[in-house]
Amino acid sequence: MQIRTKRWSSPTLLLTTLPLAALLITFFIVPLAMTGVLSFQGTEYYRLVWTWDLEVWREVFSQFSYWSTMLRTLTMALIAVFLCVVISIPVAYALVHRLAAVQNHVKILIVFAFLTDAVLKSFGWVLFLDRSGVFNGMFALIGFGPVTTDILFEPAATMIGMVYNHLPYTIFTIYLSMSRIDRDLMQAAYDAGASKIRTFFEVTLPLSLPGILAGGVLVFVLSLGVFLEPKVLGGGKAPMAAELIRQTFETRVNWPLGAALTLVLIVIGALTVIAASALLLRLLPKTGEH
Amino acid sequence: MKFHRVEHVAGNTVLYGSVAAVLLFFYVPIFTLILFSFSDSRFLVFPIDSFSIRWFGDLLQSRDFLPALRNSAVIALFSTLAATVLGTAAAVAWIRYSFRFQRVFQALTFSPLLFPQLLLGVVMLLWFSVLGGWFGFSPSVWTATVGHIVYITPFALIIIAVQLYGFDDTLEDAARDAGANQWQVFREVTFPMMWPGVFVAAIFVFLLSWGNFYITYSLAGTARTLPTFVFSGIAVGSSPIYPALATITFIPGLGLLFFAEFMRRRAAAKRRVEIHTE
Repeated sequence: MQIRTKRWSSPTLLLTTLPLAALLITFFIVPLAMTGVLSFQGTEYYRLVWTWDLEVWREVFSQFSYWSTMLRTLTMALIAVFLCVVISIPVAYALVHRLAAVQNHVKILIVFAFLTDAVLKSFGWVLFLDRSGVFNGMFALIGFGPVTTDILFEPAATMIGMVYNHLPYTIFTIYLSMSRIDRDLMQAAYDAGASKIRTFFEVTLPLSLPGILAGGVLVFVLSLGVFLEPKVLGGGKAPMAAELIRQTFETRVNWPLGAALTLVLIVIGALTVIAASALLLRLLPKTGEH
Repeated sequence: MKFHRVEHVAGNTVLYGSVAAVLLFFYVPIFTLILFSFSDSRFLVFPIDSFSIRWFGDLLQSRDFLPALRNSAVIALFSTLAATVLGTAAAVAWIRYSFRFQRVFQALTFSPLLFPQLLLGVVMLLWFSVLGGWFGFSPSVWTATVGHIVYITPFALIIIAVQLYGFDDTLEDAARDAGANQWQVFREVTFPMMWPGVFVAAIFVFLLSWGNFYITYSLAGTARTLPTFVFSGIAVGSSPIYPALATITFIPGLGLLFFAEFMRRRAAAKRRVEIHTE
């Protein structure tokens, strides 16, 4: 395929790029800047006042409770990343090397589950995990006690929801990475006498690192903003950062503080993305496409 | 040799087992909802004693259901239309052109993907409140539609861009040699070759918008869509009408996806035949 060089005076280039660029600048970049500006203002009696000071930021950095919520959010996000990656690796490998014939059907089934209304799915988990839900009911039928597991409204249930909602991201990024690995490399390892397990750990896994990293970063960043899972599945007992932000805006009606907390979360996410992309760029030349 | 045999069996067990387990995991809440939608009892407890379809009727009679359905449809249709057009254009610029500030354009159009939806919703809500103050409007279905467009367009863009990558442009050259102008080349050659990818992207983002909770929750004001209707419902107390809602929305969604896959394959097969016969 030939890549055509275009100048900014070309009408085709303007037509293909400008509408989306204008939309995103107006409704994404400007709002972000606006959030930054708001964090330097103050509130009096639930009303915004233009003060231009650091009062809000002083509160953010002096309140221990905000940071313990942030820390809980980070911990949960990291656990979710770990679980998603570990679960996705064998699934992606099987999709590439074992299930080539039914691959598309499996992918559609995963995409469908991913695209379905998240509120309904969380509610489905509630009905499944409930004390008198499907899980306990089924175990009771085969002779266990009435309540085999009681994790609904505990952090474990929140984690199930987070892994559930983010798993497709790691499955698909790792799958993409693995499907691009040159099979001759694996064959060469087998020919040299390496076992399948050894080949997997010394050839396949290192070459899949870009996909693992990209998927991991996506899951991490998206996990920073979860709100449904802690609320519906976690019972609201251990609120995470998104819930804190929502309360600051809606219940306390303190917009500058909400804006500042939003920015803290965005900065944590952005730093992760930047660090990961730097790492990715160093990994890529080594794994190079053949 | 014996070790290899054990390794082979163990490896296959892990691989096939993990795919089966993950598929089961993905469908646990979905099957649970479908199961409960046919329960006769008002209480959602297992095992289910008797079955009925009465909750589907109750759902239709619920005062908030039809407006929520209409809002979901309006938002999803308009945002899908906009996202598909904008995403297709931008994907062409991403993959087929090279220009100054291309990296900036790519970063700008990709970055909403890296944003947790709730934060995207919150920052847009702040901005819409400012704009609303200036121009005198309040959050509604339309602000939510704009929010959905910002959220789903990068998905459409990526799906189309992936399929454009490695695009075979010999047919375009042939058309140009035969005297077609730029618009004719696009209409007669480029678009017919691109459209399966565009169609798949459109269905994907339609379902993404249809099932979206966070953006609507932040931006729609008092208007409700199906996900926010369910959210406010289960916050008050669970009722069998929500599983019923799940059942009637899941089936068309799954059908739509298999239809998209069927269209994509048919188009791919047709293209292979055309190229062979030339």
